[in-house]
Amino acid sequence: MKPIAHILKEIRPEFDFTASNDFMADGMLDSFDMVTLVATLDKTFGISIPGTEIVPENFQNIGTIEALLRKCGVKL
Amino acid sequence: MIPAPAIGGVFDAIQQVKAGAPAFCTNFFPVQRKLLEWVEHGELLVENRGDAAFFLRQDRDFWHFYFCARDVAALRREITALADIKARRLTTDLVGSEDALRDIIGALTLAGFRPYARLQRMTRAGGPTAPSASTDDAAVTWAEQGDGPAVLALLEAGFDHIADQLPLLREIEAAITARQILAVKIDGTLAAVLFFETQGFTSSVRYWAVAAPFRSRRLGAVLMRRYLESHSTVRRFTLWVVADNRNAIEKYRHYGYEPDGLVDHVLVNELIAE
Repeated sequence: MKPIAHILKEIRPEFDFTASNDFMADGMLDSFDMVTLVATLDKTFGISIPGTEIVPENFQNIGTIEALLRKCGVKL
Repeated sequence: MIPAPAIGGVFDAIQQVKAGAPAFCTNFFPVQRKLLEWVEHGELLVENRGDAAFFLRQDRDFWHFYFCARDVAALRREITALADIKARRLTTDLVGSEDALRDIIGALTLAGFRPYARLQRMTRAGGPTAPSASTDDAAVTWAEQGDGPAVLALLEAGFDHIADQLPLLREIEAAITARQILAVKIDGTLAAVLFFETQGFTSSVRYWAVAAPFRSRRLGAVLMRRYLESHSTVRRFTLWVVADNRNAIEKYRHYGYEPDGLVDHVLVNELIAE
C-alpha cells in the first residue's frame, strides 16, 4: 500500500510533505488539492471519506491524514 | 434568503448538509478571514433547505451564488425552489476538472444559468527566472495607500467584473497594506500593477494589468520578473486566465506557466445580459 507521503507527492510533486506540520498554512495544499486528495484516498484505500470529515483540520499533516484513514477503517 | 448572522451559522449550515451526504458537492470554499468580512459587512445571505444550503455574496450590482448539496440530485431539486434565482443578478463559479463538473453544470443550466466564461488555471514550478533582456526594473515599487482608487480603476478598465471576481476598494487597500501589489508609476500616474497572494510555498497572481496609454513599454514584463524574483522560496506559482485569451496564455507560458487541468466555468443567470 502506498504511504501517504507518496500519494501527496503524486498530487504536488514540488513539495516535501514530510517537512511540514501544516500543509494549508505552508501553501502546499489548497481546497482544490484537497478534493483531489480525497478522491485519491478513497480509491487507494477502498473507502468513502464522509463529507463531515472533509475539513482542513483532517488534512493538516501526514499524522492527521493517517488518523482520518484509521477512523474510516483503514489499517495502516 | 436571510443575512448570515455569524460565521458559525454558515458552518453549521454546511455541516448539516455534509452529514451523511452520499456525494457532497459544493462550490463554496470560503477562507475564514473573508467569510468573517462578508458577514460583518452584511454581504452574505444564506438559505438552508436541508439537503442543500445556498449562499449569495453581494458584489457591486450583482451577487455570487454558492451552494453545497448532499448530491447533484439534491442540488437539482432544491435550486428550483429558490426564489432568489429569478429575482437577483447572479453569477457562479464552478471549479474542478471538466469531467467532475459536467453534472453540476447541467443542474445549474436547468435552473436558468448559462455559460458566461471559462477560465483555466496555469501553474509554474518555483525556480530561477530567465535573465532580463533590457528592462530597467528600478521603477517597480509597492503600491501605496493613496493608490487604492487608481488600482481599482485600472482593474475595472482591464478586466470583466463578472468573470474575474474583481476586489472591492477595501480589499485593495488591505492588499496594499499587506504588500501584495507591485506597481509601476510614470510621472506620478499608476501605469501598471501586479496583484498577488502568497501562502507559504504557493503564490498566485490575481491580476496583472498595464494601463492602455503605457502598453508596449515592457512594464508588464518588468513587474512579472520582479514578482518572480522576489519569491525565491515559493515552490508553486498559480494564476487563472480566460481560456480563450490566447495572448495572455502565451505571455504566461513565456514565464513558465502551463495549464494544470483545473478549470473554472463562470455561469450567469438570465438577469445578466450577454
